[in-house]
Amino acid sequence: MNDDIKKALKEIVGEDNFTDRLIDMVSYSYDASEHSSRPDCAVWAENVEQVSEILKTADKHRIPVIPRGAGTGLSGMVVPVKGGIVLDLNRMNRILKISIEDRLAVVQPGVVYADLDRALAPYGFFFPPDPGSGSVCTLGGNVATNAGGVKGAKYGTTRDYVLGLQVVRADGRIMRTGASTIKCVSGYDLTRLIVGSEGTLGVVTEITLKINPKPTAASTAVATFGNLEDAGRAVTRIMSSGIIPAVMEIMDLPTIQAINQNTDLGLPEVEAMLLVETDGYTQVETDYQLSKVVEVFKENHSLDIKQAASRDEAAVLWKARKSAYAVLARIQTHFVLEDVTVPMGRITDLLRGIGDISKKYDLRIATFGHAGDGNLHPQILYDGYNPDETARMKQAVADLFKLSVELNGTLTGEHGIGIAKASFMSLEHDDVEMETMRAVKRAFDPNNILNPGKMALEAN
Amino acid sequence: MDIGGYNMPEDLYYEPNHWWVKQDGDLLVMGMDDFAQKLAGEIVYVQLPDDGKKITAGKKLAKVESGKWLGKVIAPVNGVIDSVNEELEENPGLINEDCYGKGWMYKIKPDDAGDLSKLITGAEALTKWINEEIEKYADTE
Amino acid sequence: MEAKYDFERKYRKQILQCSRCGYCQAVCPIFGITHRPSFNARGKMLLLKEVMDGKIDLNEELIDTLFQCTTCAACKENCPSGVNVPEIIKQARKDMVNIGSCHPAFTGMNEVLQKNTNIYAEDEPEDFGRERNKKADYVYFVGCVGLYREDEATEATLDLLDRLDVDYTLVDEACCSGVLEDVGHSINTDLADKNIETILATGAHTVITGCPYCYRTFKNKDAYAPLREKGIQLVHMAQFLKDLDISVTTDLKVTYHDPCDLGRHCGIYEEPRQTIRKIAPNFVEMAHHHADSLCCGSGGGVRGAFPKNSLKMARHRLDEALDVQADVLLTECNSCVHNLANAKLRKDKIRIMNTTQFINELMEEAE
Repeated sequence: MNDDIKKALKEIVGEDNFTDRLIDMVSYSYDASEHSSRPDCAVWAENVEQVSEILKTADKHRIPVIPRGAGTGLSGMVVPVKGGIVLDLNRMNRILKISIEDRLAVVQPGVVYADLDRALAPYGFFFPPDPGSGSVCTLGGNVATNAGGVKGAKYGTTRDYVLGLQVVRADGRIMRTGASTIKCVSGYDLTRLIVGSEGTLGVVTEITLKINPKPTAASTAVATFGNLEDAGRAVTRIMSSGIIPAVMEIMDLPTIQAINQNTDLGLPEVEAMLLVETDGYTQVETDYQLSKVVEVFKENHSLDIKQAASRDEAAVLWKARKSAYAVLARIQTHFVLEDVTVPMGRITDLLRGIGDISKKYDLRIATFGHAGDGNLHPQILYDGYNPDETARMKQAVADLFKLSVELNGTLTGEHGIGIAKASFMSLEHDDVEMETMRAVKRAFDPNNILNPGKMALEAN
Repeated sequence: MDIGGYNMPEDLYYEPNHWWVKQDGDLLVMGMDDFAQKLAGEIVYVQLPDDGKKITAGKKLAKVESGKWLGKVIAPVNGVIDSVNEELEENPGLINEDCYGKGWMYKIKPDDAGDLSKLITGAEALTKWINEEIEKYADTE
Repeated sequence: MEAKYDFERKYRKQILQCSRCGYCQAVCPIFGITHRPSFNARGKMLLLKEVMDGKIDLNEELIDTLFQCTTCAACKENCPSGVNVPEIIKQARKDMVNIGSCHPAFTGMNEVLQKNTNIYAEDEPEDFGRERNKKADYVYFVGCVGLYREDEATEATLDLLDRLDVDYTLVDEACCSGVLEDVGHSINTDLADKNIETILATGAHTVITGCPYCYRTFKNKDAYAPLREKGIQLVHMAQFLKDLDISVTTDLKVTYHDPCDLGRHCGIYEEPRQTIRKIAPNFVEMAHHHADSLCCGSGGGVRGAFPKNSLKMARHRLDEALDVQADVLLTECNSCVHNLANAKLRKDKIRIMNTTQFINELMEEAE
């Protein structure tokens, strides 16, 4: 990148908000995936006007721009594979408005999920998607990736809450999409198109979110199952019992074993554990829901069921599930955490298939995740400095995606495509759909400056 | 006037610990002189006492800190603090930028404005004093 | 490939264990004020990983981030992958010093302690009008900040000890020099030996430290092993206070700031709270407390080397105390008192003190 462009960027954001120093370039090469690539520089934008000017400059000179939030993504979405400018939006972090009467919050993209949660708490409201990285991830990132979390089955994902956006187009023009209303069918739903577009269509500079009253009561239980088939059947039967639990998490045997090896939780080593939480506004109501769930567990041969009598007891039941990621992250120096998602009825098939892949490639794969919405997290452990093991990991990932699509599922339920899954897009999407996606990309960003190299939008 | 590379205006009065004073109606304005400012380096904190605080000539009235040094601000005269430069709370570096102007520190209501005459002033006294100070601090950078 | 640096030899596996999840951003005080990923623990681990991979060199370019860490350990506490970031950073700083890349302020600290007995290179220690080095049951070991920066806090603490009829003495203190370990150097054993000698000469059975860092150093560092071998009890003021019979109370709304050196580094969270709850029933926690407490920004040599950011961190922390509308912010560390008080604006009506100072003031009023 030539010095004139750097100078122009400094003029837009100010000296203090521009960097091309080595320490920053290293940081901005990574996210939470195994991918990395150096940008040429980075800027911290402070307002929409600056974002607009940055994009105008970049578009004119055909320089890639990679919008970035907290960088907690797991698929390389913010890794600057083609260099260019990292557009860091963390300093645009103001909550602009909370309107309980209109049931909405208006925020800048750099607001951290947990900070919005803290701001809504006094009103008894919350923004439900609850991603695992909620303490650090930004709402702009949530929108760009359509983030989900443990409560997806009952509360949906980010997309279900975004009412409107302010978006800066690749050429620097500013547009507003959607409305400040709960309902809106006025024209194409560009809001929903932008949500989950991974920074490839525009830069989100303001978000209008629908918010929900926060349930005040919850009931929690954990059940163990001697075989996966029973656990899988319990999941689908709960769905047909008329109850939608707020949380329904599953952990498989390799996950349980890893937890036992590294903690003193002493879990029973069974084929599957299900953690269920029902929520509502009175204990009577949530206990009733949970009793229906427990009935289903019993009908499906659960070995043991523990119900929490208090919040403290619930925290104990949650402990195993909450420790899963951390325990697995400590076993090997490298891992990939996938998020394949299948229709709920195929969860057992998916788990059995993952077991086969683990054996086939001689890799330790532990799976846990959101059984309630069919979104599972196989965590494949490997040594990235061992070329043979790394090659086997890659083959295992390819098999996993193939398996998920064969089961009528998807490559990704919540982590996104980025670069990690870009080469598998055609597995799930037919040629006509891919061409339509590419046409949309060209319409928004004819010079391909916005987060290029992602989502297989350039092939053909 | 320039003395050995330090800007020391002749029309000000100086307390021997390098606090300048000038008359401003009934009040006195004080701040840090260029010699001290340069020696201290970048000022990062200035204590701003409450208005009305009683001060005694030669005694500490507040603290001032640069990255490498903590200094005591010494009261040049007896009196009370009338007001302080609140800009210094957010931007103590004003002392480095403009120690005789925007970087002023406190306004004092003196018990006796005549006390000013006890301070160092005038080209001759100033030159002698600063040259001695330069010698004294020659070892510390 | 042969490891080039000690940080790699000691911590290679841990650095690779960082899964880049970025959860440290939630609690890193420097990230909190800069929003700059390269200053966060993840950014620092990535730099060291690239050094190990031979992609970049360990050199002066890294000073700004590797030396800009308060070693507060909030990242370590929140790390799913169990990476002990502060220890890794301390080792990397030593490696950098070995190759001649060190922040000048940190070089300065080491030099100061070769010539002086205190970290500020001050000439005259305050005597607080009290006799030193006499025979007594307790030694009250003030620490550099209490001696040279927060003399009012120390004066009040000594007044309290007098009021409580504690048989104590001050001693001719040298800096415990524990901080040198944090800034790329090593404990100064001459100073340690001097402290051991003066403490033992008093015949005291217990040393009460005013500074959590001195406490940590006496308690854990090899240089101070003779103190422990002689059976000298080591307590921080917060532990000593807890067992005393203090009957004064206040209606003021009080909050407590966990000093990193006392909380995360020594696990002392409850003792100060027990004391404070006794005197201030109207006690309130800030948004971050106990192991999640936010650092005041002064540790790890940052107050000296990066004073502006250090003060911004203090301001960030102080905002949390203002958010809960506390009248008084109590803590157990002179360094925290100093930095937080420096960050206070005139319009903020909150008062910032050590617990001892506050109790002394309440007792004074009650008399």
